[in-house]
Amino acid sequence: MATATVTRPSLHIAPRLRRAGLGIWVVLVYAFLLAPVVVVVLASLSTTSYLTVPPEGITLRWFFEVLEDPGYVDAILFSLVLALIATAGSLLLGTAAAYALLRRAVPGGEAISALLMAPLVFPGVVVGVALLQFYSLIGLSATFAGLAFAHMVITIPYVVRAILASLAGTDSNLEDAACVLGANRLVAFAKVTLPLIRPGVVAGGLFSFIVSFDNVPVSIFLLGVRQTTLPVKIFTAIEYGVDPTIAAVSTMLIIVTGLFLIVAERWIGFHRFI
Amino acid sequence: MTRLLGHLRRTGLGLLSPSLLLLLLVFLIPVAIMVPLSFRPYLPGQGIGEGWTLANYTKLFTDAYYYEIVGRTIFLGLAVTLLTLVIGYPLAYFLARSRSRWRHWLTILVVFPLLLNLVVRTFGWMTLLANRGVINLALQDLGWIEQPIRLMFNFTGLLIGLTHIFLPFMVLVLIGVIQNIDRDLEDAAKVLGANWGTTFLKVTLPLSLPGIVSGSILVFVLSISALVTPRLLGGPTYKVMSTLIYDQFLQLLDWPAGSAMALMLTLIVLVLVFLSGVIARRFGMQGSVAQG
Repeated sequence: MATATVTRPSLHIAPRLRRAGLGIWVVLVYAFLLAPVVVVVLASLSTTSYLTVPPEGITLRWFFEVLEDPGYVDAILFSLVLALIATAGSLLLGTAAAYALLRRAVPGGEAISALLMAPLVFPGVVVGVALLQFYSLIGLSATFAGLAFAHMVITIPYVVRAILASLAGTDSNLEDAACVLGANRLVAFAKVTLPLIRPGVVAGGLFSFIVSFDNVPVSIFLLGVRQTTLPVKIFTAIEYGVDPTIAAVSTMLIIVTGLFLIVAERWIGFHRFI
Repeated sequence: MTRLLGHLRRTGLGLLSPSLLLLLLVFLIPVAIMVPLSFRPYLPGQGIGEGWTLANYTKLFTDAYYYEIVGRTIFLGLAVTLLTLVIGYPLAYFLARSRSRWRHWLTILVVFPLLLNLVVRTFGWMTLLANRGVINLALQDLGWIEQPIRLMFNFTGLLIGLTHIFLPFMVLVLIGVIQNIDRDLEDAAKVLGANWGTTFLKVTLPLSLPGIVSGSILVFVLSISALVTPRLLGGPTYKVMSTLIYDQFLQLLDWPAGSAMALMLTLIVLVLVFLSGVIARRFGMQGSVAQG
């Protein structure tokens, strides 16, 4: 009868095994999530002119090639300017919209907020082709303004969502008190409410900047012949063939994104806004 | 005039009008304009013809080339959804129940790939999956295979790439619901004699169902809409709906057919998002798909 007692799992071992199993699973999933990131970083360091992982030798040559390539530098600057303008626009419009939705009796408020959020789930490629047609009808084809407006549309939901989350936790009486004490509405908002919702503004701005900077499906249909954003440049470069400069510029994006996220988490507790 | 201004201020429409104007001009009208275009005939070499036709829609269901792509897109979306759910649930459970002080940073580590440029992540998968990529070379070095296995430009490549891209979305939605499940309910089930498996199947899983549904709809909707990953991992030949739309607009210049397909994709997405909203309201959940 010894076998019966042996095969019966002990009450103390089973939970421990389960925890270990869950732990292993978690580690494997993180490995899956981070594998492509690690591979790109490794590939960018190889001395070979083709991609090899693990790298053969270590060099920073490809990073210098990226920084000396006017094509890449122009694309980086173009993307930065576009993302800054789009973010400034959507912060302005999105904050006003979120404020109105929460603090005013907006008729059809639910429908309006659904509309503001719609670009979040709307296929980017559809927005891209729709604007390609529309801009060619109204003469905005391949213009920077057209591209910037498109980026505001796709970034505004992130701002509205972050500001709504922040604003919901503030007391509207504070602003009214400031008004009673003689401040006008704008001053009361700027001096009382804005400091309170600062984390939401920062989170919305960061999301907006990243979404604009990363976008391909909308940008690719709207760019002019001589214009390119960084991700579109990498995207088209890959279609022509992969090389270590692509890995190097990708690694730069990985490092910047990582730093961005660490700073954002320390600064405003970014995980609360995800 | 002052009455109008007063009205705009009270109702908040004054503050909302800039955003609404932007969305109207740069989103709603452009999408609406695709509707008439999708009923136009396309004449090869000449462009968009006169008159009206249903052909752009009927061929989505009758032309084998098109319905294969539509079917493939939907099947791929379902497979990605299922895979992210199976892979992501245990991780979400771990993160939701962890009391570790590293928890926030571990969550941030799930968000990191999400914020990392999509082209970069896909490029990483190309480096791993190519015929002379990391995986194939490693397997050959180990002597497990002689010829490289095709992991790219086919269903496998798209499945792996898209699962990776959308896993964080699923995990974040699931963390949200699992966190809100009262631990006492699980403990009560155990006190009443249920073992771990029964507790999970009868308590935890049913209570996380709203999150499973809205996470699944979100991942499905995003998978069938994705352009960059299918384009790079599928190459120019292995197509899904979004990459076909891309080709029709930029290469074949058949805008009417491209519009019909784009509207079809939009219709599927909108119906599912609407359903997700209904389900979210029914279960009194805060975060529906539309709210992210």
